[in-house]
Amino acid sequence: MNTLFRETYYLFIRAFKQSLRPYVALVPEFVVPIFFFLINSAAFQRAVEIPGFSAESYLAFYAPVALLTAIFFTTGSTGIEVVTDISNGYMDRLFVAPVHRISIVLGKLLSVGARAAIQTIIMLIFLVIWGAPFVAGLEGVLMLLGLAFLFGMAWSGIGLTLAFLTKNPRIVQSSFIFFFPFSFVTTSQLPLDLLDGWYKQAVLLNPVTYILEAMRALMLRGYVSLTASTIDIGFVAAILFGLVTLTAAFFSFRLLSA
Amino acid sequence: MHEAIRVETLTKKFGSATAVDSVSFTVPKGEFFGFLGPNGAGKTTTMRMLATLLRPTAGQAWVNGHEISRTPDKVRHSIGFAMQAVTLDPLATAWENLLLLGVLYGLARKEAHKRAAELLELMQLTKVAGAWIKNYSGGMRRRLDLAAVLMHKPDVLFLDEPTEGLDPAGRRVIWDYLEKLGKSDGVTIFLTTHYMDEADYLCDRIAIIDKGKLVVTESSEKLKEKVGGTMDDVFIHYTGHRIQDEELNTKAADPYAQIN
Repeated sequence: MNTLFRETYYLFIRAFKQSLRPYVALVPEFVVPIFFFLINSAAFQRAVEIPGFSAESYLAFYAPVALLTAIFFTTGSTGIEVVTDISNGYMDRLFVAPVHRISIVLGKLLSVGARAAIQTIIMLIFLVIWGAPFVAGLEGVLMLLGLAFLFGMAWSGIGLTLAFLTKNPRIVQSSFIFFFPFSFVTTSQLPLDLLDGWYKQAVLLNPVTYILEAMRALMLRGYVSLTASTIDIGFVAAILFGLVTLTAAFFSFRLLSA
Repeated sequence: MHEAIRVETLTKKFGSATAVDSVSFTVPKGEFFGFLGPNGAGKTTTMRMLATLLRPTAGQAWVNGHEISRTPDKVRHSIGFAMQAVTLDPLATAWENLLLLGVLYGLARKEAHKRAAELLELMQLTKVAGAWIKNYSGGMRRRLDLAAVLMHKPDVLFLDEPTEGLDPAGRRVIWDYLEKLGKSDGVTIFLTTHYMDEADYLCDRIAIIDKGKLVVTESSEKLKEKVGGTMDDVFIHYTGHRIQDEELNTKAADPYAQIN
């Protein structure tokens, strides 16, 4: 087996286990998205009566936001995990081992992507049981997992960059502030056609909007000719967002490990 | 090649501060070499450069014949480095910690399993091998840390205060094993410690570094003979500090030590 692949594989397993421990820390990753989903889908159910609202129920419209929130919360602690490894010396333990340095970051990123995909599956099962539609079939599930995998890695790039650059848990923790604009300044509450002014422009500039729209299209209509471009654009947005955040993460990791 | 470590005018600067100032020495293969000095003298910085964790500002060094800046990967393959703090994953079991390090050093999974079992037995940790190490006592963590750096059977072992915080019985376990490693297995050991009795008992030769400069390198017997006293007297003679003050400084600098 190629050594880089072997090292990445074992570091992926380690990072995956690390992200699950301690187990009690997993609770908010489920509770917060479910809380937002239950509250918002109930509070705004009459929003669908607004002329021009495209979905049949607000629960169906809001369900993809729960998936996105789950990914935000699952991958948001990646930076903290890395800062912990740096501050307790574990990163030095890896640096002094004869491993390709890049395998340390690749293992971490793959674990983040895998966690995002698994969290998405669990949340999807919950949402469907709660009454959210999902018409895309198995192919759609795979696409949704692909999007979750890519977006999970892309989102973790912010925390990773700050962790490698600052090695400071408070600064990395405070990067959670990015969650608010990236999550709320989207079409999470209302369809794009109902937005206006500077807010609509900001929503259009936010890459997460396109990822959310792709997830929504998959859940409500599936991958059909009408939604194909929306879904494809979602993938492109996730990849471009990842290119920016992960380039920054790799660059800052090089500074740390130099 | 009879030298395990060769250091030539090794220098490390952090901004305008010189942590290690043109230090040179050699350590023959199989030697137990003590590297002593007051806090901030440059012991750990030297060790981190030799272990390829820090790039020297100037000078050169070879470990097992491999130059540390040009062929760091070859150096890493041949060394084990037990750092000042225990550097293991606290939310993983002893098994998980050892197996991961074993495979990262190129051992086959089966081989890593066998080696981990041996080391856990040796360090008297077999019964707790399945528990997360955050639940271990300080002594158990230290022993596991030492097991971790021995997984790949390194030729050169760097030990940065390996018995710090251990009770006498715990220190004895480590001493016995280190002595065996040095004498029977021919491993070269480069040790820093604040315990003068430890340096006196274990080390074939001792180097003392102060303010980044190497001030003396000699066997403990000859050092004691020269100064006409104990190793504590030797330390005071060459550094102007009492080693007990160094221990107090270390504890004062560590907020957890004060709490405990």
